[in-house]
Amino acid sequence: MGGLWDSPVPWTPSASRSIGLTKKPGVPSSSFGGRHGIVYASYRDALTRTSRNSYLSPLSPIDNITTRSHFSQPRFRPPYWYLPKERVMSDELLTQENKDFLNEVKQDKLIQQSALVSPLAKNEPQELVQWNPSTRRVGLIARKIGNYPLWSKDGKKFQTTLLQIVDNHVIKYIPPEEFKPMKTSKVVWKEKRKLGCLLVGSETIDPSTVTKEYCGLFNSVGMLPKKHLCRFMVSPHAALPTGTPLFATHFRVGDHVDIRAKTIDRGFQGVMKRWGFKGMPASHGVTKTHRRPGNIGAGGEKARVWPGTKMPGHMGNRWRTLRGVKILRINTKHNILWMLGVGIPGETGAMCYLFDTVLPLKKLNTPPPFPTHPPVEDLPIEYHDESVHLFDEPTITFEES
Amino acid sequence: MSLVIRKSTVDILCAAKWFARRDCRALSSVPEKADIVEEVKERVPGRKPRAHNPLLEYRHVYPEFLPDPNPKWRNSLREKMERADMLKRRSQIDIPEFYVGSIVAVTISDPHAQGKTNRFVGICIDRKGSGLRAEFILRNVIDHQGVEVRYELYDPTIQSIQVLRLEKRLDDKLYYLRDALPEYCTFPLDMDPEILPEGTPVPLNPVQVKLKPRPWLERWERQELKGVSNIEEHLKEKDRVRRELRKTPWEKYDLMKQYRKTIPAEDQSEIWNEVYNQLQQMRVSRKKMSRKRTFASPKTQLA
Repeated sequence: MGGLWDSPVPWTPSASRSIGLTKKPGVPSSSFGGRHGIVYASYRDALTRTSRNSYLSPLSPIDNITTRSHFSQPRFRPPYWYLPKERVMSDELLTQENKDFLNEVKQDKLIQQSALVSPLAKNEPQELVQWNPSTRRVGLIARKIGNYPLWSKDGKKFQTTLLQIVDNHVIKYIPPEEFKPMKTSKVVWKEKRKLGCLLVGSETIDPSTVTKEYCGLFNSVGMLPKKHLCRFMVSPHAALPTGTPLFATHFRVGDHVDIRAKTIDRGFQGVMKRWGFKGMPASHGVTKTHRRPGNIGAGGEKARVWPGTKMPGHMGNRWRTLRGVKILRINTKHNILWMLGVGIPGETGAMCYLFDTVLPLKKLNTPPPFPTHPPVEDLPIEYHDESVHLFDEPTITFEES
Repeated sequence: MSLVIRKSTVDILCAAKWFARRDCRALSSVPEKADIVEEVKERVPGRKPRAHNPLLEYRHVYPEFLPDPNPKWRNSLREKMERADMLKRRSQIDIPEFYVGSIVAVTISDPHAQGKTNRFVGICIDRKGSGLRAEFILRNVIDHQGVEVRYELYDPTIQSIQVLRLEKRLDDKLYYLRDALPEYCTFPLDMDPEILPEGTPVPLNPVQVKLKPRPWLERWERQELKGVSNIEEHLKEKDRVRRELRKTPWEKYDLMKQYRKTIPAEDQSEIWNEVYNQLQQMRVSRKKMSRKRTFASPKTQLA
């Protein structure tokens, strides 16, 4: 394993697999764990710091949210250190006894892991002391399960998206001194704030379905392999021990969250859907040109098609971060979050990564559950925002003023 | 019968049938004809008749509890949470059973209305959506102006949904009422509820509506509508020809299309098993409340 891995970068699975999208045949999945281990669409994306967990200067009062003005082509070839996660399942010629034995072993390991008490259950007092507004804490890996409408107390309807936090556990913490992500020659910013790397996994899977190298990452810390992995850059005092379960109560109702996910893969799309061009009229003598781009350049000195000209091409399946999404309701039994709005990238059933907002007006002001919410027995099943009308409450009526 | 002839029981029974018929015919006024003895229908060998889950009938009464069949949007946990929310809302307000073609009165709380409530009576022309998005459209003609209002079933501003006349129609959607003569959509706003005796099946109104002359909003002749009477009068030869060309007679053989539009029986049974207990309890408790109210009224009159 050492020979194949030149850098000590913790292995991150391919982005599309971690999102759990079914791949369209012939369309390669993009962004196989780019530089710094964070999955970028291309090295150019890494430069423009679109990922939430980029290194940001502590001196600037407002965190920079840069936007990409230049369209960058996603790179589909994985880097040299990329290793496959899924194993080729062949017919293993095992006897029935051996198969049963293996199943028993797997069951025992699963029971053992679920019986583990969270390390946080013991420590109580230190929590609220250490949080300050510039602290970075862990995020969560969630799965989109659908949308449905909720109503506010004024009778206005809004659409909400449901995200389920399935079986999140902390896998490993790498302190900032030891953390050496893959460097390229184009480093632009200087790292002034030291952040450690916390690996979080979601959805335990059967170890026999994945490769030995993938399992090795988890075996080294004594955990069963997870289907999805994500890296969260955290402040050193927000570090968590291995095996800490993370729940939906890590966030509170009314908090704002940044959601990073892969958009729906729309395949090869024309210029009207992809870039929002207006096209040409359907009639009035227009010949054979209704959805075409029209002119693609101007004349003059630089009479050529500029690189980055908007043209038809592959749309979707790109990493995007939606900022400042509000949490309206939390169900602690199933670990479900209700988010305001339906613009969260990805299809129903796709994975997304949640972080505390970077937006200055919606950032955390009060100390949140820090470093995370410990597993508590008697939690109320539902938490909801004051503006949300719960269906148990009586019908909304307006009083005469 | 002097001769004792050995005959099988079947023959004797057949013979007996003839005698019985002759006797009856003596009383009836119908002229005698040669009768064909009906044969006993034999059971088709092979398949056993499947036990029909009676709970599946709920899919007509509460169609919004079934999720959208599109597999891209299906998720069992989200559907469970949605159903739990729907039941919570139903515990606050009685959402009665009604169908497309029933006349319904809806009272909503409106911040801009006088008395902060608004009541609308109309015939339900469409019911769509699933889960908390379920909606229905009511149509009425008020002051010679057709008005349609779309309400959400689970909207918390709805104070009451009262069914004034419970009936079904020949079609699933009644959008053709927009092009029909206004008398078929006009209902008085102060209509009294018509109460059906308990246990009666939902009546089917076989009314065939007359349409106004063209132009129409849609090509009603191309949709196989059973509740419209006079489409043929308004058609030209060209329309008839185009209708024949556009017909899709192979659609009725498309099993997969039908399958994709429905939730399979096994999933439906699971859903109804989860939900029917509470719905039954709510129905029973509401009936009790309504009975208590009928008892209460004479007292106030005396007072």
